[in-house]
Amino acid sequence: MEDSVSAGSGNGADIESEATAWAIRSAERPLDRAEQLLLDEWLETDSRHLGAFVRAQAIWLDIDRVAALDGGTQRDVPVPAHNPPWGRYAMAASIALAAFGGTVAYDHLAGRISTERGEVRRIALDDGSILTLNGNSAVQVRYEDDVRRVILRRGEASFEVAHNRQRPFIVSANDLDVRAVGTEFVVGIEEEGVEVTVEDGVVAVDGKAAGSARPRYIRRNEQFVMAATGARKAVLDTADVERRIAWRKGVLVFNGQQLSAAAAEVNRYSNLRVVIEDPTLARAEFMGVFKLGDAETFAGAAAQAFNGEVVRRGDELVLTRQQNSPSH
Amino acid sequence: MDRQAQLRWFAREVLPHEPDLRKWLSGRVRGLDSCDVDEVVQEAYARLWTGDRDAIRNARAYLFVTARHIVGEHLRRSRIVAIDFVADLDSLNIIDEEMSVHRRLSGQEELARLYEILQTLPPKCRQAFELKKFQDFSQRKIAEHMGIAESTVEKHLAKALRLVSDAMKEAPAGAQDGRQRERRFWKWG
Repeated sequence: MEDSVSAGSGNGADIESEATAWAIRSAERPLDRAEQLLLDEWLETDSRHLGAFVRAQAIWLDIDRVAALDGGTQRDVPVPAHNPPWGRYAMAASIALAAFGGTVAYDHLAGRISTERGEVRRIALDDGSILTLNGNSAVQVRYEDDVRRVILRRGEASFEVAHNRQRPFIVSANDLDVRAVGTEFVVGIEEEGVEVTVEDGVVAVDGKAAGSARPRYIRRNEQFVMAATGARKAVLDTADVERRIAWRKGVLVFNGQQLSAAAAEVNRYSNLRVVIEDPTLARAEFMGVFKLGDAETFAGAAAQAFNGEVVRRGDELVLTRQQNSPSH
Repeated sequence: MDRQAQLRWFAREVLPHEPDLRKWLSGRVRGLDSCDVDEVVQEAYARLWTGDRDAIRNARAYLFVTARHIVGEHLRRSRIVAIDFVADLDSLNIIDEEMSVHRRLSGQEELARLYEILQTLPPKCRQAFELKKFQDFSQRKIAEHMGIAESTVEKHLAKALRLVSDAMKEAPAGAQDGRQRERRFWKWG
């Protein structure tokens, strides 16, 4: 490989071969002095070399994240030493095949789904139920013939459960079982304990941690909290419940709304307020999808779309048209 | 941010847009001998990487705009340009839906794509890659396991990365129709 790493810019494809070779080397072991010099020299020859190198490094690193989605066995269950090297692979491959068949199948170790902070993910499960995962959360989906089980590992998830009396839908969180048949509810592992909020229908709360021999029933607009200090139930009004689950959609979608209306919407979920003083700009029609609470991205995209700029003023993001900009 | 964190940012915020960017570019560098899509992407990544990343609020829009600038620079340098190319470039002044809407792949889709790509790798290459990425083997351990030299492992891994990163230039089959799927996706809410 030594000879493949030479100076000279080459074409896009040659550059990529060298970039991947360097990415592997520098990721897998510290480069020695001579290699470091060669790499530096190569990077300085042409800016495209840096671009290709960064790309290769980022892809190599990102594969770890994707590989870890493979059933979560790496993080949850230690792999036994006698495990044949291809055991986990074969299992995950079956998921992959199922995924290409149109639906995603889950087996015991697979089905782990997780989100990062600020990311909300909405997933259709293969029975027609819908799972929405709040930021920094993880669940494991274990569907069996007679029970649909979802284990909340961390964070918060909301469920819209497809009705099937023969196959109960059970969410487990810290020794608490929440059972539902055809309903919508949210389960969160919060600092003070496990919290269950019911949006529609009824759920039964059960399990070791429920603190009672018989299941407790939680109804529409009720909230159950299983804290270390004991269990409690609260009645909420519809607006509270809606606020409680506002994250669930996770995004704001604008499809030609006026910018002022879009900004008002964005501002509901953000400490930073987007302010538009120019009346013609306020009436401009806007398209885009934004993460809840991400006022900065929204303002930046709006500025780019209408040739404006964003000026930060305290906790306000003021959107203005550039002075010499033609009317849009 | 250390370099690892920067690379993660890059993988999360920039890489997912590459297939769309390439598709968008491929229709536009036509008739421009001095640049190909790979080179525009490489140059755009270099600028994104060395630029002020903190100021980048919308990496997708930034990436498209940067790429457009680079094509524009090539355009000014080259003497003969197809007329429709100029027209295309003019139409890119606005950020259209293509630029602002993106559907992120789910974890299952990403995993499925990775496995699909792995099917296409030569056997040794794939074995080394899987031992590395799915079993967390060190290069030495892979060498012992496969009965080959460590330097050969490195070559296999480099080749695997090259092939995987090539395959990632295109959106996975399921996400080709990203815009339509996105509409349907959000409608559930």
